[in-house]
Formats: sequence, C-alpha cells, structure tokens
Amino acid sequence: MNEQQKLYRRIQVCSFVLQETALYLDSHPFCRQALRYYQKHRRLREELIEQYESRYGQLTIYGGGASGSWHWVTEPFPWEV
Amino acid sequence: MWIYEKTLQYPVKIRKPDPATAKLIVTQLGGPDGELGASMRYLNQRYSMPYREVTGMLTDIGTEELAHLEMIGAIVAQLTRNLSIEEIKKSGFDAYFADHTTGVYPVAASGVPFDMKYIGVKGDAIADLNEDLAAEQKARVTYDNLIRLIDDPDVCDPIRYLREREVVHYQRFAEPKHTT
Repeated sequence: MNEQQKLYRRIQVCSFVLQETALYLDSHPFCRQALRYYQKHRRLREELIEQYESRYGQLTIYGGGASGSWHWVTEPFPWEV
Repeated sequence: MWIYEKTLQYPVKIRKPDPATAKLIVTQLGGPDGELGASMRYLNQRYSMPYREVTGMLTDIGTEELAHLEMIGAIVAQLTRNLSIEEIKKSGFDAYFADHTTGVYPVAASGVPFDMKYIGVKGDAIADLNEDLAAEQKARVTYDNLIRLIDDPDVCDPIRYLREREVVHYQRFAEPKHTT
C-alpha cells in the first residue's frame, strides 16, 4: 500500500470505530467510558481527514477547493478498481 | 440530511469479474432482505418512534445501510467489468444485460425489481422494533447463503463483513426492545 492508501485505510478503520461507538451511545447516552473512547477517536479522525484532504483531495463536498481544482471529480470514486 | 463521504465503509477489491456471481450478490441491493430495504425501513420508521434513543439508532443504522448498499453496488460493478458477450451468455447474465447493460439496477437474485412492499413501517414502537429484529436475521441468512454459494475470497471478504454487521445490528435493536 502506498502512503495515500495507508492513510485512507486508517480513516476507514477510525470511522468504523466511531460508527460502532455511536450505535452503542445511542442506547447508552450517559456512559462516560464510551464517551471518552468516542472523543479520543473523533479527534484522531479529524486529524487523519485533515491530512488526507490537504494532500490527496476532498472526502466530502465540504472539504475542497484548497488546491485550485475541484478534486471531487478529478479524483477516483471509491468503487473504482 | 446526508453527507456523502468518498470512502467505502469496508474495502471492495474484486480481481476477477464474474457475472454469475453478480446476479446473486445484487439481491442484497434489490432483494427482499437487502440493504436498500433495510435503509428505507429504518429511515422511515424513525419519524414515529417516541424514544429518541431508538430514533437515533434508526437514523444511524439506516445511514449505515446506505453505506452497505454502496458496497454491494461496488461489488456488482466490479464483477461485471470487461465482459465478453460469450461470458454474458454463458453465465445467464444475458437477460439482465438486455435491460440494463452492466448498469447496477436493484433486483433480487430472481430478477424481480426492488419493491417497497418488502418493508414494514407500522408506526408502533413494539411492532417496528420486532420488524427490525426479523429484518436483520433475514439479511444475515441471505449473507449465509451467498457465502455458501460463492467461492471467490475477494467477494466473500466484504460479504462476511456485511454479515457480521447484520448480527451487530440485531444485538443493537434487541436492547431497546428490552427497555421498552
């Protein structure tokens, strides 16, 4: 895996952690341990996304425009082989 | 509202195209127990759910199901690339190809197009939660069947992931059922 693929993979993993924790928090909204775990990974994900978007292009329509071209359509979509 | 993130929830990298497999996999997109039905069921049930914990869960699981239907679409698209007419005829993919070429169209493995009748929204917390538990099990069984039928590990890997998610969703929905 190259650097971009590694960073993308870390984002996939971190997003999954947040998805799972969010589902748990939905039925345990006051669980402090889960909230701390969530916060830690939320910060990590924000950093990973910032790194990715600054180097390789935007991941959402809200993350673009920095480099002077609209990466949304110049970079591949995730199902492309 | 929904924000689209340009990532797949889990990797899909199918090295070998296979239209016969695509015909089966597509059932988790357009079939009776597939991800499109699941997302529509949960996202619509949430408006009449009187408990915010459950509304939250329906929103979050419903959204995750949209991510899953994207994975299924990706698998089908990758399985149907670079096909020869020979392969299309031999695999029985020709009927689908006649109507949709290699476009991704939500049908069941039988070829029946997706139908909103597959989902239930009863506007009652107990009925809706029980519907959701059943739905997750039916989806899990469908994934079991796909794993039985398909040999390609590139396909079975994301399918196994999706199967595991159904099991987790079932456990999540079971919790509010106990507290209501």
